[in-house]
Amino acid sequence: MPLLINRVVTEDSWLLVDEDNLSTHLNEDIVVPYELFAAEQEQLLSAEGGLGIRINGDQDLNLVLQNLDKLSLVTIEFPAFTDGRGFSFARILRRSGYSGQIRAEGDVTRDRLEYMERCGFDAFAIPADRFDETMVNAFGEVSVHYQGCADDERPIFRQ
Amino acid sequence: MYQYNEQDQNLINARVEQYRDQTRRFLAGEIPDEEFRALRLMNGLYIQRHAPMLRIAVPYGLMNSVQIRKLADITRKFDKNYAHFTTRTNIQLNWPKLEQVPDILAELAEVQMHSIQTSGNCLRNTTTDHFAGIIPDEVEDPRPWCEIIRQWTTLHPEFAYLPRKFKIAVAGSTEDRAATQVHDIGLHLVQNDAGETGFEVLVGGGLGRTPVIGKVIRSFLPKHDLLTYLEAILRVYNLNGRRDNKYKARIKILVNALGTEEFTRLVETEWDIIRATETRLTDEHIARIKGFFEPQPYAADAVDGLAVLENQLADNQEFSAWYERNTRDHKVAGYRAVVVSLKPHLKAPGDITDVQLDAVADLADKYNFGEIRSTHDQNLVLAHVAAGDLYQLWQSLRDQNLARPNIGTLTDMIVCPGFDFCSLANAHTLTVSEQINQKFDDLDYLHDIGDIKLNISGCINACAHHHVAHIGILGVDKNGEDFYQITLGGSSREDASLGKIIGRAVPQADVANTIEKVLQVYIDNRTDDERFIETVRRIGVAPFKERVYAPVN
Repeated sequence: MPLLINRVVTEDSWLLVDEDNLSTHLNEDIVVPYELFAAEQEQLLSAEGGLGIRINGDQDLNLVLQNLDKLSLVTIEFPAFTDGRGFSFARILRRSGYSGQIRAEGDVTRDRLEYMERCGFDAFAIPADRFDETMVNAFGEVSVHYQGCADDERPIFRQ
Repeated sequence: MYQYNEQDQNLINARVEQYRDQTRRFLAGEIPDEEFRALRLMNGLYIQRHAPMLRIAVPYGLMNSVQIRKLADITRKFDKNYAHFTTRTNIQLNWPKLEQVPDILAELAEVQMHSIQTSGNCLRNTTTDHFAGIIPDEVEDPRPWCEIIRQWTTLHPEFAYLPRKFKIAVAGSTEDRAATQVHDIGLHLVQNDAGETGFEVLVGGGLGRTPVIGKVIRSFLPKHDLLTYLEAILRVYNLNGRRDNKYKARIKILVNALGTEEFTRLVETEWDIIRATETRLTDEHIARIKGFFEPQPYAADAVDGLAVLENQLADNQEFSAWYERNTRDHKVAGYRAVVVSLKPHLKAPGDITDVQLDAVADLADKYNFGEIRSTHDQNLVLAHVAAGDLYQLWQSLRDQNLARPNIGTLTDMIVCPGFDFCSLANAHTLTVSEQINQKFDDLDYLHDIGDIKLNISGCINACAHHHVAHIGILGVDKNGEDFYQITLGGSSREDASLGKIIGRAVPQADVANTIEKVLQVYIDNRTDDERFIETVRRIGVAPFKERVYAPVN
């Protein structure tokens, strides 16, 4: 799955683990599904590698917010492109001071990239059949912004 | 009115090109149908029964003559020489071609118009009172606040994929002509004890399958906090609104499920976090936007026309009837507001031809400082006409079939396009409005019945707001035949209420006769100056029900 980080196609350096292989990779850079994170918090937080969590709109963002300083990656799943909860998740993460990677995953395609980036996403895992290199042109298609957002908190009247 | 600066213009130009590219990629097969559907809806393009339908935004119902002429031109070039005004004060074109929509948008952008967010599950056009700025007892002109909201809602990156559509209305006086209590958010300009202006905030009103009157969640919001508070409401809704069932996805369902108190607590908790952010309004910004809504340059000698007008009214009964029904007071002496009726005899309510649009633009330039407003009731308003000009204006409007003296009467109906155009509709609406028009063409009878609101929706989505009409008519399908359910006692005004169903639905052929029976009960029971709605509220639905369903001998 092609991955854009800061608008550039990049190799993924993170490994998604499940409960079966967690112990093998505990001290590597791993992404852990929300339920596994909730179950194995203590072990995960004291491990040596980088730690990421994968969450979707049905799950409780507070668990992520409570551990922000330990996390280097938050992956937010979009089960359908119409599910806009992830936009608010990213916004809340950024305003809470989180500066690690926020990755969009799932039904993530070109025509939402610009809004996602404004809300605080900096990484996009795009299904291979929907990826093409011209996608990066989607960023900045509309450069005038009336509202403040995670990219620039100033609305147009303070810019 | 508000004038775009370079940034506003750049934004809509860029949006046109973005949509042009989206259309191109769709036609090239690069965007799946379902995904393009969301994109085109967010740009006002539906696929309807016969053709696509393009909904063009008219922010808070305010236009100038240049824009109206452009619309006339667009209906000639790209459509069938007419347009339709909606209850959100927007304009619909019923016959555009999907491939040509980007070109239509480019033409609209030349006159500072667009179709951004006129559909889809996003923040829609904000509406207000069509008499804003000319009412004597107004707390404040609501339009600057609508413009501030327009900017905030336009291409909002966080709230583009809400659980469902989201509509905001603002009222500036105690009279509510914007149906604020049946909006997702209703804002009422109010003053607190210290004399400061702010907003009473209502949330969770709506019509459709589950009609609900909005609840007050804050009685006074300081004006500088308007956008941060809206942001808090929208974030709570975006995160918590239901996404598993589109019929349960509006904010009214969330407010009811959580309870007003808990919903309010969530909003206030979020607002505490963000109220001091950069989104808080500045005095400078408020003043700048208000600067676009200064009073028109009224003529001091306009009062001189009053004597002339008095003679004209005395001499011409037809003119006098029009004056009584289709004009109203203006706060500046010597001026009146004129409602241009888009409810002529036997024509689709809210429709207007290219020739009529051009004529209205010319009349607006001649008599009304070039300004035109569209109303929630699907009419137009020329808000500032000097008394001495009314007679000439009336003659010109009459020549264009735009002066039917029926504003606020039975034939000033809100009617959705119904089965003839809409792919959601279960039943025809235009045939029913024609039937009612034919039955009740007698002006004396209509004026005797007086103020009454009759609305006709072709399906349960209630686009014509039948629940909040004094007489509501809802089209239903029964084994392939059109039937109509009748409700009485609804209101979308400051005394908002939901109508009650009087009984089983009646067949199409019987609708006008049924209305006649309902009106007869009113005539038999009214006291002195009692309006229809007041009689219904006083005597209840039972006497009406009894008459309508009485066995035929």
